Amino acid sequence: MTNTIQILSIEKTGKESSLQKEHNNKSIKIIDGYFFSRNLDDQKFTKISKLISNDVSQTILTKKNINKVLSSYCNFNWVVEIKFLPGVTDNIATTVKEIIKDNLKSSFKSFELGSTKIILIKGRKEDITKISKNEANPLIQTIKIYPFKQYLNNFKKNQFKIEKVKLPKKKYSKKEINLDISDYNLSLIGKLGIEENDKSRRGTLGLDLKSIKTIRNYFSTIKRKPTDVEIETLAQTWSEHCKHKIFSAKIDDIQEGIFKKYIKGATEKIIQLRKDNFCVSLFTDNAGGIEFNKDWIICHKVETHNTPSALDPFGGAITGIVGVNRDCLGFGKGAKPIANTYAYYLADPNKKYQLYRQKNKDPMLPANFIAKGIISGVRVGGNCSGIPTPQGNVYFDDRFAGKPLVFCGTVGIIPKKIKGKLSHKKKANPGDIILMAGGRVGKDGIHGATFSSEELDPNSPVSAVQIGDPITQKKMSDVIIRELRDENLYSSITDNGAGGLSSSIGEMAKESGGFIVNLEKVPLKYNGLYPWEIWVSESQERMTLAVRPANVKKVINRFNARGVEATIIGKFIKKEKAIVKYNKTEILNLDMEFLHEGYPKLNLKTSFPKIKKEKKKIIKKSSLIVKLHKLLSSPNIVSKEFIATQYDHEVQATSIIKPLQGEGRVFGNATAIKPLFDDEKSIALSQAAYPQYAETNPYDMAGCSIDTAYKNLIVSGANSKKIAILDNFCWCSSDEPDRLYQLKEAAKACYDYAVAYQTPFISGKDSMFNDFKGFDKTGKSVKISIPPTLLISSIGVVDKISHLTKMTPDDGDILLVLGNTLNELQDSVYSKIIGYEKSKNPVVNSKDALRTYRNFEKANKLGIINSAIGIDLGGIGIAVTKLAIASKKGLTIDLKLKNKISVDQFLFSESQSRILVSMKKNKLANFKKIFKGSDYTIIGKCTGLDVVEFKDNRKIIRGKISDFAKSYKQNIKGL
Amino acid sequence: MNVLVLSGYGINCENETLHAFEVVGFKGKIVHINDLIQNPKQLNNYQVFAIPGGFSYGDDTGSGNAMAKKILTNLYDQLIDFSLKDKLIIGICNGCQILINLGLVPSLNKKDPEVAMIENKSGNYECRWVDVKVNNNKSPWLKNISILNLPVAHQEGQFMIPINLLKSIKANNLIGLQYINNHKKLAKGQFPFNPNGSKDDIAALTNQNGNVLAMMPHPERALYHYHVPNWQNNTPKKFGDGYKIFINAKKFFA
Repeated sequence: MTNTIQILSIEKTGKESSLQKEHNNKSIKIIDGYFFSRNLDDQKFTKISKLISNDVSQTILTKKNINKVLSSYCNFNWVVEIKFLPGVTDNIATTVKEIIKDNLKSSFKSFELGSTKIILIKGRKEDITKISKNEANPLIQTIKIYPFKQYLNNFKKNQFKIEKVKLPKKKYSKKEINLDISDYNLSLIGKLGIEENDKSRRGTLGLDLKSIKTIRNYFSTIKRKPTDVEIETLAQTWSEHCKHKIFSAKIDDIQEGIFKKYIKGATEKIIQLRKDNFCVSLFTDNAGGIEFNKDWIICHKVETHNTPSALDPFGGAITGIVGVNRDCLGFGKGAKPIANTYAYYLADPNKKYQLYRQKNKDPMLPANFIAKGIISGVRVGGNCSGIPTPQGNVYFDDRFAGKPLVFCGTVGIIPKKIKGKLSHKKKANPGDIILMAGGRVGKDGIHGATFSSEELDPNSPVSAVQIGDPITQKKMSDVIIRELRDENLYSSITDNGAGGLSSSIGEMAKESGGFIVNLEKVPLKYNGLYPWEIWVSESQERMTLAVRPANVKKVINRFNARGVEATIIGKFIKKEKAIVKYNKTEILNLDMEFLHEGYPKLNLKTSFPKIKKEKKKIIKKSSLIVKLHKLLSSPNIVSKEFIATQYDHEVQATSIIKPLQGEGRVFGNATAIKPLFDDEKSIALSQAAYPQYAETNPYDMAGCSIDTAYKNLIVSGANSKKIAILDNFCWCSSDEPDRLYQLKEAAKACYDYAVAYQTPFISGKDSMFNDFKGFDKTGKSVKISIPPTLLISSIGVVDKISHLTKMTPDDGDILLVLGNTLNELQDSVYSKIIGYEKSKNPVVNSKDALRTYRNFEKANKLGIINSAIGIDLGGIGIAVTKLAIASKKGLTIDLKLKNKISVDQFLFSESQSRILVSMKKNKLANFKKIFKGSDYTIIGKCTGLDVVEFKDNRKIIRGKISDFAKSYKQNIKGL
Repeated sequence: MNVLVLSGYGINCENETLHAFEVVGFKGKIVHINDLIQNPKQLNNYQVFAIPGGFSYGDDTGSGNAMAKKILTNLYDQLIDFSLKDKLIIGICNGCQILINLGLVPSLNKKDPEVAMIENKSGNYECRWVDVKVNNNKSPWLKNISILNLPVAHQEGQFMIPINLLKSIKANNLIGLQYINNHKKLAKGQFPFNPNGSKDDIAALTNQNGNVLAMMPHPERALYHYHVPNWQNNTPKKFGDGYKIFINAKKFFA
């Protein structure tokens, strides 16, 4: 034990309320603690205490008062102490250090500091164990449980220790790797990583034998052995994550691969068909860009952060959102992030899945912990960054129990020209300085390794999990967007994400030719990192800039004046060489061509999969009204208001169609922001995915996703000529021919529907192996694969505010369904909740759909449409009920059944491309003119009463709006 | 008329706050706190000092605390000086939390912070629209306003005020805004009308002169009619309720 001190501050009231509610125990208190690496005299103790607490709401605990203060709350008997593991980013500690340094200036020099959260409880030991499990994650935090009295004694005796990262002092000497070894040993390097001198392995490189042999051949041609850094760099650069090998591989008879043929191919075809190209930047940059108005470009990018979110849901999700924000900062010369989007695909938070990564140990986090952590991670990331998060959704399915899907997106805006130059073009010039700005480098995210908590001790800093620090990024982002960019002070910029410097510099150097980096210049969070670790670390909040030597001083000064670090770490060169030095020793020297294109290309084969038919479930006999309530309150339809209200969607004062719509606050399918004060043009955003349709027919699944994402923007009032889409494929077992078949089918649909709708893909990303391989509670080995999931995000421009639609009909409006309703209940919410009916899966007829959409757009511009909602999950029944809940106005629906479909089918079929609209009676004649030859049905009217009724000759369903609202707004169990 | 809008370290509503002042006729500038510390004299060029919303220092050590301590260490005297002149200060959301932590409102005892901002009773971040009414208050910021429909977005919006102080706050009419329910009566702590559980439904406090206003709701996010939820159902007009706060600032100097 060292002679140090801790300051504990207890909140008089407040903080613990949610914890008390959750554990149904009023005797819980939370203490904020700060550990100092050195002793403080009484004067300093008092002064510092004052700086970091508020004595109106908090009490500082001292040896003298601790007994009295704590016993005034209750007789606690247990204490949980939660601290970050050494090396894990401790944002609170950084802030406290800054406050102290600023205030005490030179009178208080070097010290280390850690923050801690202490929970006091009166209860049983089981309660405290449960709380500690819910409040901390062993991957990044240490959790200690003390009997209350023992804790008090320790406190009084200053018995605690501050744990710093203590890395063995290792002197780096260049490490050459011998690849002239057996195939078996080669494959070990690929699978388990490079062998250290003590025979331990660094962790998987994800290189197959073919790739390692390609590396061996390259080095035997240039007649030397590779260094460890070279192998690590190639592994990073050639990873599926960076190179998207599956999408670019030859697959069956498609030589160019499915990306070139179906995704990029669709966009090229559309540009060729349309004469009015509004695409500005496609696929090559960090995000895709389209024209917003004559002076501005908007860009959009959606990323996934699945594996990290399974390990540390909060850290994974916050890193996901601030990471994709950087994609926006790295678009062209740097776009300002103006909106975040999210989509979570999760297991049922109310179920206990009890999965283990290893037999009987290393358990998966509970489903509700994962769900809550992800939701709060994006909340903190988005809210703290001052970027509104209006658009998103959540979907639940048991097949996400092994791997949650976390999609995070960002929209950005940038002037078309900066100082007369096109802003989306950037080029690192030979001679430009490589500048790293933002956070420091630690062992974060190295190899994205997954290892059990047992392996973690103070000597092994966390390397699996990165934790985003939105404030560091916000400071950096403000300097770039507000100060440096518009003065044209840098030639190129990109973000540091996967692969860290090795990837960002490697990519930028394509613009100049090559690069030389001096790794010892890179500022570190702590000493003791090997050069290869510095090179591939995924520490967050960093951008890499290419700066003309004449501007470097100015740029660094500007960063420093805003409390942001910026460091010269090398330069870009003309020669097409990638060179890395560490203290003058050259540790990497590769041809750029080999680095980026040297990887062996895959040759994939697909085979038709066995279709897994939906299990038949007997339909429980219940009345239609019971069914409607059941569907409304089912997790995938029920309101997501609780997320919308915790994500700040009003910041930047741009929100004009909000996530909750109508007086009755219905969670909308699309949202809109108006990004410029001086232009009424708006941006509409939506997204869609149908993993539940994937196994039956992946082609139709993809068609439905595109149709819904596109339709939602049309319904919101966007200009159909200014809608672009993004693809995010999250697949499973992508080394199996039947999964690849599904992939190919989905990609083919992407081409067909995008071209049919003439809505180009502008950006995309894929994540191909979302499988969990582990054990159940009995020790039996299990594999859980996600259902193939294609998230289509749509972004569109709304020309006029008056084009924006609403979800609320008015008294006397007539209601119409545009589009055709068929018996398409297979894989629907109805079939899952109520039971399976002999039925088909929804199929998009793009010709009919387009006719509906074009006519809708025309009618809306003419002011014929009074309110509208896209019909999707739960069909007409749910769409009608949502309109009534939103407007608090009664609706009467006449069931005129065509096509020999039953009432259930009519109400709950998920046939695509349908819109429910309302209009004034006197607009009907004009409407009919426009919709001549197009499918539509007048289904009822808005009565203004307080009931919703669906009737034919006799009344079938009749219920109070308030009752429906109650079902729709039910809490999701487990959250 | 010039307004200085503060920025830096995670403050994030400076653009829209400056815009709101510009719309009513102010000239203004966004100034980074470090630049202001470097050159505090520039305050003389301004009549209004605005601390916008945001997440300064990520709310570490309590919302508004760290930024308040930075101001306390480096700019406190200048800011006190500013507040004693015929000038205006506004703190919105995080800015409100900063002013409270500085003790600039209610500033009855002229010493350390007298009020604290603590976590919402719901335990959640709350982004939603609320109605507030102007209490009997002489603040120039609130003149001739009765009711405002504005958004809040905060995790720590609950005013914590010791009982005796609350009495003098009321006696001195320093409560600026109070949350009301859908019948235009005080919310009496009822969620969601009172989104954070603030005692006496307090949404804003002023100092005794009324020239310093610390408010949790965001008037700059309710500047135009299309900011208001479901604006399509309302009779068209140009501005939202937030405009009234900014135009009052202009009238004060007119």
